[in-house]
Amino acid sequence: MSPTKDLSQLSDAELMRMEREIAARHLDKFPYFAVIWAFTNLAVWLALWPLVFMGVIPLWLGFIIASCNITLSYLPSHEAQHDIIAKPGTKLRWLNQLVGHISTIPLVLPYRVAKITHMEHHKHANDADLDPDYSTHADGPLQAIWKSLYNRQPRANGGFNAYGEVLMRKGRMDVVFESVLWQIAYFGILFALAWSGYAIEAALLWWLPRHIALTYIQYYLSWAPHNPDMQKGRYRDTRSFRSIIGNIGSLGMQYHIVHHLHPRIPLYRTPRAYWEMKPILEARGCHVHEL
Amino acid sequence: MVQVIKTVFYFGPLIFGFGFITPLTAQIIEKLGWALPFGLSPLSFGLLLGGTLGLIAQIRGRWI
Repeated sequence: MSPTKDLSQLSDAELMRMEREIAARHLDKFPYFAVIWAFTNLAVWLALWPLVFMGVIPLWLGFIIASCNITLSYLPSHEAQHDIIAKPGTKLRWLNQLVGHISTIPLVLPYRVAKITHMEHHKHANDADLDPDYSTHADGPLQAIWKSLYNRQPRANGGFNAYGEVLMRKGRMDVVFESVLWQIAYFGILFALAWSGYAIEAALLWWLPRHIALTYIQYYLSWAPHNPDMQKGRYRDTRSFRSIIGNIGSLGMQYHIVHHLHPRIPLYRTPRAYWEMKPILEARGCHVHEL
Repeated sequence: MVQVIKTVFYFGPLIFGFGFITPLTAQIIEKLGWALPFGLSPLSFGLLLGGTLGLIAQIRGRWI
């Protein structure tokens, strides 16, 4: 389909049929890259610890690599959250779950917390009361960065602190406890390392990179595609946007609108699906004029 | 058990101040070779800084 084709005269049903036809071409593609990415990324981050402790690589280099690792740790889990690697009941389901569980270890985000809250985000995107990620809303880029940091403060109501409320609303106290255990393990490891003489290493290989990663992830995965001025509704709650650091730099989020319309399309297929769908999205009045 | 966890998390900023900022500060001072006034050891200064920042964050509910 030509990206400039005018489809505004077509009916809703016809547009939906065309949209689904395009989506179908991109569904059920095994995301090899995301699976390799999940294991490699975690292995590199884990390897940093002995490499830095033994002086094989300098701490400053370890810090840079760890910041990249932790920033990149969320997306493979995101593919798993949407059952993109393998649907329930299929032969490779174990791999889907394994990727989901292990990839976000450096981020200290349990898979079940991520999955439940992310499904709520999809269901209620941009709803001030029900969207777990609504607290990232801000008027501009600098405010978004500030909001991300602010939401991580001990008695803040947003960010991960809001996830606990969502889990309780969903009646998932078991997942709340799982999250508490992860937090205890994380801080326990940090404190043990710090009091064993490795405080600077713990700060620069985990604590600070994690904060950088959370800010980056919330900026590009939550704020940029859903702000500013986005509303509620299937064709209004997210958009495409042009990032100054490109699609890879923005963690593949320039085409986030495709993900919200068809969440089981793998991340690597969203650009192609977007360009095929663009005339339909324009006919729907979506916010797609930046790309 | 739930109450214990809630209490521990409530005092999170203070615990983080003593548990992480204290040794981190002490090790940074040692690494930089700074001499502290009043004969303070790096660890004593770390306890002072970690405890103070932790207490402020505990009262305000935020670090920044």
